[in-house]
Amino acid sequence: MTRTLRMLAVTWWLQLKLLTVSAFTGVLEIVYPLFFATTAFLVYRQNGDPAALVYAGLGSAVMGTWSAIATTASSALQFARWQGILELLVAAPTPFALVLVPITTAMATTGLYSLVATLVWGRVLFGIEVPVADPLLFAAGLLMTVLAIAMFGFLLSVAVARYRTAWAIGNMLEYPGWLLCGFLVPLALFPTWVQWVSWALPPTWGMDAMRAASAGESPWFDLAVCVALATVYASVAALLSGVVLRSARRHATLSLT
Amino acid sequence: MPVIEANDLGRSYLTTTGILRRRRTTVEAVRGVSFHVGQGELFGLLGPNGAGKTTTIKMLMTLLLPTSGHARVLGHDVVEEPREVRRRVGYVFGGDRGLYDRLSARDNLRYFSELYGVSPHEQRRRIDELLDLVGLRGRDGERVEGYSRGMRQRLHIARGLVHDPAVLFLDEPTIGIDPVGARELRGLIGDLKAAGKTVLLTTHYMFEADELCDQIAVIRSGAIVAHGTPSELKAAVSTGHVLEVEAHGVAPDVVTAVRSLPGVRSVSIEEQGRSQLLLVQVDHGVEVAPGVLALLAGTSVGRVITRQPTLEDAYVELVGQTESAESGA
Amino acid sequence: MTTLRIFFVGGLISFRALFGWLSPWIYIPTMFVAPVFQVLLFAYLGRSAGVGSDAFYLVGNAVQYCAVPCVFAMANTVAGERQTQTLGIVLATPAPRLALFVGRSLPVIVNGWLVSMVCLIVGSLILGVAIPVAAWEPLVLTMAIGAASCTGLGLVAAAIGLRVRETAVLSNIVFGLLLVFSGANVATSAMPDWMTAVSTWLPLSHTITAARDIVAGADFGNVSGLVLREAGVGLLYAAVGLAALRLLETSSRRTASLERM
Repeated sequence: MTRTLRMLAVTWWLQLKLLTVSAFTGVLEIVYPLFFATTAFLVYRQNGDPAALVYAGLGSAVMGTWSAIATTASSALQFARWQGILELLVAAPTPFALVLVPITTAMATTGLYSLVATLVWGRVLFGIEVPVADPLLFAAGLLMTVLAIAMFGFLLSVAVARYRTAWAIGNMLEYPGWLLCGFLVPLALFPTWVQWVSWALPPTWGMDAMRAASAGESPWFDLAVCVALATVYASVAALLSGVVLRSARRHATLSLT
Repeated sequence: MPVIEANDLGRSYLTTTGILRRRRTTVEAVRGVSFHVGQGELFGLLGPNGAGKTTTIKMLMTLLLPTSGHARVLGHDVVEEPREVRRRVGYVFGGDRGLYDRLSARDNLRYFSELYGVSPHEQRRRIDELLDLVGLRGRDGERVEGYSRGMRQRLHIARGLVHDPAVLFLDEPTIGIDPVGARELRGLIGDLKAAGKTVLLTTHYMFEADELCDQIAVIRSGAIVAHGTPSELKAAVSTGHVLEVEAHGVAPDVVTAVRSLPGVRSVSIEEQGRSQLLLVQVDHGVEVAPGVLALLAGTSVGRVITRQPTLEDAYVELVGQTESAESGA
Repeated sequence: MTTLRIFFVGGLISFRALFGWLSPWIYIPTMFVAPVFQVLLFAYLGRSAGVGSDAFYLVGNAVQYCAVPCVFAMANTVAGERQTQTLGIVLATPAPRLALFVGRSLPVIVNGWLVSMVCLIVGSLILGVAIPVAAWEPLVLTMAIGAASCTGLGLVAAAIGLRVRETAVLSNIVFGLLLVFSGANVATSAMPDWMTAVSTWLPLSHTITAARDIVAGADFGNVSGLVLREAGVGLLYAAVGLAALRLLETSSRRTASLERM
């Protein structure tokens, strides 16, 4: 058990190292969401309500974490395939699920760079101060949101291992995620059926938990649902990874040729 | 019990062509391949590009599911018990891929050590050992993207060895490496065998197979066409001799005419810069030199030699194509 | 005559050659699904903030999104040729540069226009925004000019792409700048002066204002000034882009940097 935890930690760290040195990812994950955050601030600022700006300020800070997964989780395995590494990852005796989880978690972790950048940007340019009434619970909410997004990425990456063109779907998820997870827009504005979709996404609950902790309210319910949902996604992905891998071996889609 | 057992292994692919009217064809990449590899043996799978070597090795590596037949590695079935196989087997392939470019050599080895479950206190010692073995000790902190091809290949081998596997699968490990680097790599492979590992090597370089392997299986178009020790394979063609003629400007119809001379088993032409080398494999006791030279009247002829066949000749004959081979090392 | 062929046929073939790898799985989501979500994102944002109408955000984002086909595609045309290493080969032909690059622009403009139109139609259906029937004709023309103008910017991006390695990063930044400054989501009147000034010199800003006016009931005559200004901006960028391409081409010949990846 400790061996597995150590393996997860070390591989997560090395993957994070790998991602951090890529300038290309940096711009896409930090700068790009900033454009959207800025636009959101410009719109909300006209409204004159400072609470609305704080709402947007906190939400847009998490946008980058979602983008980190939505834009790269499906591409990462494609990249691994091009590098000839996918086969080596499969050839290792570690269950493929446990190989993938640290990879997507590292990706989601890079979203933290965006978080800091967006909070600083909002503070410096728009004077947005996000209160953190309970730092510990806020951190817990943040951690859970990152992990929840990582588990979603895990599910996404499993689909890519089998279907070479599944990465197109991954690229399409950036906007819907921003919209549906309640980062910039309160869910109450959506028709009920859309809200149900939002509630099925773990980051929605993580975001709520963070907002609650920031405002000094109780985030426990939101945190619990977030953990539960993330576990469901992870379990489905883990089960799927066994099926998917066998299929990839049957249809020879692990390598390029 | 053989370490590696392939029994009638086969792999076929269904390919579809066309966009509107899709035609499905079955391509048989590997058909009915069977062989055994014993403990400590260095087994070579020799064949031209596209013969099915990589497909075979991937099936044994559990990366591809065979469409027919079975295979076992160290007694574990490759289809039913893939994890057991993976724990005990190392996989190395040639080329530039297979490493994280933006990580250092040491980090690459650490990563794979974790995936192979090498215990933490073993890791440091093993990684240092491996870096020494492949001669990368001083440069292990640098990012792989700055490495030469030869260095990458050596690191790749180190990566395949992090968990000290009993069996090693090497897929064309010296491809694209300069001659000096390739020789060092072959030395390394020899050392691994000496250390008691069982190695299965695929290659299209016959001299490499000749130098390293205890046993060779020649594979062509997905099937094994010959099997034996290097000497046995040479013996299969050495009931005759080889006539080598250096000439300038040999016309294709001359080649055809030579082939139809009595006693000639096969003819191939090797391009060597401006001139060509005509290689005629002749049955035992038949004298074809006068006949060949007569056919070559009018072309400028240089050296004419009669010699014993080498493994390369055996290979060319087995693979059965008249091709322009690259001049061997 | 050959110039015309280079213009039309050459452009189309290069478009297909570089986008041949784009399966419908990538093309359709990127060009037709994503923009609708962008519209929804900002329409709801507007509702939440109580600022601007659905129509405001619909038109703004539908027009702004044509930057994806117009800037990305144009920049990729050059970057892609560099990758397949056909750029040097193409530039080595005696084909007149203008016909060559303008020819490559034509399919891009059509693509861009199509993307904006589809986004507008689908978005209006989802959000329930009524666009008067009389508005469609002037809209079609206005959006076409907008797409052409944006493609001019794309030519500049393509020129920069001859030197810069990461053209995708560049294109993303241009997209972001247009998002913030073109007035897609913030009325130019609500922007600080310096931003409005920048906006005037960017493609798509005038198109967005014109399109919004048309949807609100103005006829083409009312917005012709804006459309002309847009055309002017576009031509300016196209001229700069073409000149830059020529310049970089000649300098690359000197420094052999054309094929350097």
